[in-house]
Amino acid sequence: MKRINWLGLGLLAPAFCIVIFFFLAPVILTGFFAFTNMSTSTGVTGGEYVLNQTGLRAIEDKGLPEATLKQLKNAGYRVDAKGLAAMAEQFGENAAAEFAELHGDALFTSRRDMERALKDLRANQIRSTRDRKAAAELFKRSVLNERFATEDEFRAVLIEANINPADHDAIVMQAYSGWVWTKENIELIFTLPSSLRYAMNTLMYVGLTLSFNVLFGLFLAISIFYLPPRTSAIFSTIWFLPRVLPPVLYVLMWKWFTWDTGFIATTLSWVGVAPKNWMLDTSTHAWVVIVLINGFVGASLGMILFSSAIKAIPTSMLHASEVDGASRIQQARYIILPQLRWPILFVTSYQTLSLLTSFEYILLSTDGGPGRATEVWSLAAFHTALNNYGGNLQYGLGAAFAMLLVIIGIIASLTYLRFFNFREMIAKPRIEG
Amino acid sequence: MQLQLKNFTKRFGDLTVIENLDLTVNSGEMIALLGPSGCGKSTTLFAICGIHRMDEGELLFGDREVSDLPSQKRNVGVVFQNYALYPHMSVFENIAFPLTIKKQSASDIERQVNEIAELVYIGELLKRRPAELSGGQQQRVALARALVRKPDFLLLDEPLANLDAKLRLEMRSEIRRIQQETGIAAILVTHDQVEAMSMCDRIALMDAGKIVQFDQPSVLYTDPANKFVASFLGNPPISFIDPIVDSGALMLPGGLSIAIPENISAQSKVQLGIRPESFGPQFGTGLPGKVCFVEMQGREELFDVLLADGSLVRSIQPAGSGINVGAQIDWGVAADNVLMFDQNGARL
Repeated sequence: MKRINWLGLGLLAPAFCIVIFFFLAPVILTGFFAFTNMSTSTGVTGGEYVLNQTGLRAIEDKGLPEATLKQLKNAGYRVDAKGLAAMAEQFGENAAAEFAELHGDALFTSRRDMERALKDLRANQIRSTRDRKAAAELFKRSVLNERFATEDEFRAVLIEANINPADHDAIVMQAYSGWVWTKENIELIFTLPSSLRYAMNTLMYVGLTLSFNVLFGLFLAISIFYLPPRTSAIFSTIWFLPRVLPPVLYVLMWKWFTWDTGFIATTLSWVGVAPKNWMLDTSTHAWVVIVLINGFVGASLGMILFSSAIKAIPTSMLHASEVDGASRIQQARYIILPQLRWPILFVTSYQTLSLLTSFEYILLSTDGGPGRATEVWSLAAFHTALNNYGGNLQYGLGAAFAMLLVIIGIIASLTYLRFFNFREMIAKPRIEG
Repeated sequence: MQLQLKNFTKRFGDLTVIENLDLTVNSGEMIALLGPSGCGKSTTLFAICGIHRMDEGELLFGDREVSDLPSQKRNVGVVFQNYALYPHMSVFENIAFPLTIKKQSASDIERQVNEIAELVYIGELLKRRPAELSGGQQQRVALARALVRKPDFLLLDEPLANLDAKLRLEMRSEIRRIQQETGIAAILVTHDQVEAMSMCDRIALMDAGKIVQFDQPSVLYTDPANKFVASFLGNPPISFIDPIVDSGALMLPGGLSIAIPENISAQSKVQLGIRPESFGPQFGTGLPGKVCFVEMQGREELFDVLLADGSLVRSIQPAGSGINVGAQIDWGVAADNVLMFDQNGARL
């Protein structure tokens, strides 16, 4: 029998918890939300049944027959047997009988008309306004702007209002104010022109930032390698600062740097350039700033990985290339770069994945602006679901955005794993020294 | 081409590793820089190929002053201890690298690489990667890469240290053959005296940053400049005993006396160096002692003999003497081959 190592399991438990609560659960919930129409107006719990003017217009657009529509609109107050019976109970048989005689089967579209009709009672006058209001309520047969807790209650009212049963389902569906399962989110994403825009923005963001990260990281690593030790230590520390700075501070400094009264604008004003916001002036400005902000953070990772990989190259190999006649540039080109193949691939794939999903620096700097010029996919998901000026947060649609990103990320990771041939990567190197 | 190193001084920080070293390598000859670890032999080699800068002194390749040239411009071929082959290139690309760097035409490169590959017998390995080669094959590739651009000098840094005993023997004669066929002057850095003696025309024996003696191997062996040279060369090593100086003769423990040569003034204290092959029964008697260790080496037997005064003398004899540990013996010394040193270790 296999012995279970409880200590080992215990030590792993926090990791399991983190994976389950911070990775699996959000992914599963995202998948779940993506197929609902949850939003601020539906809430995330169940809902009531209420038909308002907006709802009415919506079902009108969906092709509800004119007659039914009229019925719904006009179904205000009806003097019918049920109402009269209730009236008899509260205000006496005589009052009910008199009212039946006066206004039997009458239809009123507003409460005012209904109350005016009640004033017509002579023999059995209802004197107080409050009582008259109460009496008017007894005849109310409208569906509009009324809240019903359950579907049955709502259907009962529809039947009572004599609405064609064929139209009930459509009305019920429209009147339901809670969330429902739907595939519309995905369809919407694939039809909206803005999602194509977000996708192109994301491609541009990932492509440009990644190239900057890798190329600049390589440049830093190689120059650090050739610099004398003390200088290179200072140099690498400086380039590592963006990574260790808190993102909010780091971006705030960029904002100070680029504001219309900031460093660039002030300095350039001395040579007669009119001050402007160098971050948000045009979309080109915004893109340059975004790539630099993210690039300097990412380049330090590349720098460290590439530096250690270069240090792992045996010095005798570098000496050999020198006596073979290679200049520094040729040494970097023919000896160092080819041996950085794996670190470069690793940084590329790792950064692709992290850039696809990261939006914090964009959120803090341009927030997708100017306009939607730098709105990337993940930021769009965030804006749609959790933070927008419209105020109607579309959790479902946002989750659908996020879910597509998760799917792309998983496909990309699997591709990279296959491409990297993971087993070969963790195998011991075959050549020594 | 002749190599001249004059007044070479090398410091690492405050530590002076080599001071005022002079070395001349004649055209076509192969010399060894031999010495114990840390004596500065590799430092000297790296200074000659330009990997280390010289702090003082000058280096001449023929008439060309190269002291301040970077290694790229010195035209030397170097074989490193671990071969330093480029793992991402094929054998062909490795050998062709010095030529590729010079942007020679592809056909030229191919012809030269094939030529050199034939010379070092690796013609059929050109498509492989270094990782797919044995140690000896990697060694040959490294040699080919060092030789392909016809360097003025070939520098070998402990080239055989990473090979097993059999391959080492084979590569020893191979390197010598290739060096002689190409006629390129070569410097071999090694701590192995057998390598140095068997491969080189001359040996520069180094100790603590200085060249102690620079001569042909046989001269170093038979006529060492001092006690260090005598003790460094020879396997099994030479033994030293302290005789008593008495009225113009040296009294050895046990009664044997050796006359002090006339050209040497009488000293209060003299040390005698006796090589194992100069001590044995074939030289008569006079140096009695007790056999305290016998080492069978196949063709020969090595005896450690403990003398009366407690010093140890080694003797090497043909196998089959039947003498065992504990035996009392009384052997003689070949007085002509005994080496005399003063108390500072200088040869008398």
